[in-house]
Amino acid sequence: MGTLPGRFCAISLCAVTFALGRAGVGRAEDASSWRDIETKYIFGFTTGSGIGLEGEKEFTTDTIGRFGKRDGHYAATETKYEFEFTPSQFIQIEFGALGSTHNIGSVTDFDDRNQVAVSGAFAEFRYLAIEHTSNNPLAVTLAVEPTVRRIDETSGERVRNFEFETTINTDLELLKNRLFAGFNLLYEPEVTRTAMGETLREAKLGGSAALSLRIASNIVVGGEVWYLRHYDSVGLSAFTGDAVMLGPTLYIAFTPKMFMTAAWNTQVWGREVGNLVSLNLAEFQRNRAKLKFAIEF
Amino acid sequence: MSKVPLMMRKLTPAAVCVITMLPVATSQAQQATEVQVTYSKGQFQPSELRAPADKPITFRVKNLDAKPMEFESKSLRVEKVVAATSEGVINVRALKPGRYEFYDDFNEKARGTLTVQ
Repeated sequence: MGTLPGRFCAISLCAVTFALGRAGVGRAEDASSWRDIETKYIFGFTTGSGIGLEGEKEFTTDTIGRFGKRDGHYAATETKYEFEFTPSQFIQIEFGALGSTHNIGSVTDFDDRNQVAVSGAFAEFRYLAIEHTSNNPLAVTLAVEPTVRRIDETSGERVRNFEFETTINTDLELLKNRLFAGFNLLYEPEVTRTAMGETLREAKLGGSAALSLRIASNIVVGGEVWYLRHYDSVGLSAFTGDAVMLGPTLYIAFTPKMFMTAAWNTQVWGREVGNLVSLNLAEFQRNRAKLKFAIEF
Repeated sequence: MSKVPLMMRKLTPAAVCVITMLPVATSQAQQATEVQVTYSKGQFQPSELRAPADKPITFRVKNLDAKPMEFESKSLRVEKVVAATSEGVINVRALKPGRYEFYDDFNEKARGTLTVQ
């Protein structure tokens, strides 16, 4: 499996095999004896409300791969090398560097490119607004993530890009320790100054719903659906297209302090304004994948 | 009338309010409920604790064992390593009524619950 999507699948399969072996998932397990689970990472691209434990620190690598345009060959990844800490019982802070890869050939409107680069930096601030208790299954976290890039995440071109992602992360414990629903609302305005001196303003607006089942104390599987809209303005006045992404999710805790999460989304519906083609491959990709590894200390 | 006395007149009630509230705030800060728990032979004693709702809680965890333990709770959102034969202090926000589980992260079997009413 030499391709990037293939590598994502292979890593996920190896992790599942390893984790299933450790968990002995064939045994009947009583979910009431399981410890509470951190919900932040169990929904794939959808983020849960968890903010970690006060005093906890974590290092993670979080890679998002985007694959497939209308024609040619398109594969791009962006990896966050991230330090995360929780200074209080209500706030979590993350920051780090971004690395990107672009492997693009014969795609309309894109230059051919095969590059690896340090592409930018980001920070994230999360505030737990409503906390989950044994009497309240609902939890809500508000998050903002300013990001600056020197490499465009889609085309790989040299740019100056400023993005300000704002999300509301909600989750609901449907069955104690067993079944969870997650919901995100997303507003992501960005301003890009190209190498030609042109200034582009755009925004992404969207929402997601996810359902995750804990099949063993250390393994959670599920599925998620995203509806995303794209605008050529930050004020949401110039709608250019939308898409629906759908796919499976996986979370595995290898040890109490080390885990991974993986997700795969395929575009199942999309439209481009002024273009009568199926799917929206101008602003979104055919498939996207997420692979995250984390170590807490 | 000069400006200074006018300002003084306006500021005095505010200052009185602040000064009046200060002892209240201080006493509220001091009103944390203290909960003591001992960790011995790989178990919490007692393992079922109680505390009042809407008041901060201070856990005093006395580890009597000869190896360190990590007091941790996802629902309380705290973790702290307590060295062998020593005491750890963990401050927790004011909690809503409910049941909060805690455990030793180094020992799968050591668990306890805090019931907040």
